[in-house]
Amino acid sequence: MRSIELMVHNDATGSARVRETLDHFAAEHGIDGKPLIQLQVVLDEIISNISKYGWSDGGVHEFRVRITLADNVLAIEITDDGQPYDPRSAPPPPSPGPGGRRRPGGVGLHLVRQLVDGFDYKRVGRHNHVTLTKRCVADAGAATGNPDEERRT
Amino acid sequence: MRNDGLSITHSHVGPVCVVTLDGRIDSTNADDLMVHLKGLIDAGEKNVLVDLGAVLYLTSAAFRVLLVATDEAERNAARLALCSVIGQVRELFEMGGLVDAFTILGSREEALAQLD
Repeated sequence: MRSIELMVHNDATGSARVRETLDHFAAEHGIDGKPLIQLQVVLDEIISNISKYGWSDGGVHEFRVRITLADNVLAIEITDDGQPYDPRSAPPPPSPGPGGRRRPGGVGLHLVRQLVDGFDYKRVGRHNHVTLTKRCVADAGAATGNPDEERRT
Repeated sequence: MRNDGLSITHSHVGPVCVVTLDGRIDSTNADDLMVHLKGLIDAGEKNVLVDLGAVLYLTSAAFRVLLVATDEAERNAARLALCSVIGQVRELFEMGGLVDAFTILGSREEALAQLD
């Protein structure tokens, strides 16, 4: 089992750090492009959601992200001490309004549900624990896995 | 990969302002895209074509910007269309149920032929 853990802030730097960390972790372990890209989408949705809505005091907060690879399953655990929120409970995006006009909103977690193999949540004490899992083909000896390269193939 | 993950450039092809996006569009840079698109619409561009052919992936933050910019264009008697929505980017549009929310016009060449 290989893993990496980082503490991030509830601002744009948090999402950027997580994105870069996942890229490096995936490249190091030869995780192929499509699962990596899909996990990057998932992480941006979850991390930005926590950053935006986790705390209502407007202050700076830190939360933990742990990325683990075991048996070709990449697991991402996010633990925060924000207000209780189960992201699995988010309603699906609203239907288009009059005239077929689609409104923004609700798309992010709708994407997450479709992009992961496992999506769990529990509240333990004062913390939210979200765990996302995705099967991926990992090869520790490979040098591929950088989505920038994948895009050009 | 650039640190912010996204390059935004635009050029004119006849009456069409083509915005080329290269990289990833997520919560860290979607606001930059909004500023860029709104700037073009405010400057009076009437045909804005956003080329997504070099986009690796986009998240709901990007969809929000594209929806808002489409509305903004309409309010200014302009139109905003997308082209080169292919591969994994297209899959994300489909998963989000957003294919019908935009004017999507095939390849850049096909789009320019239709908008000219």
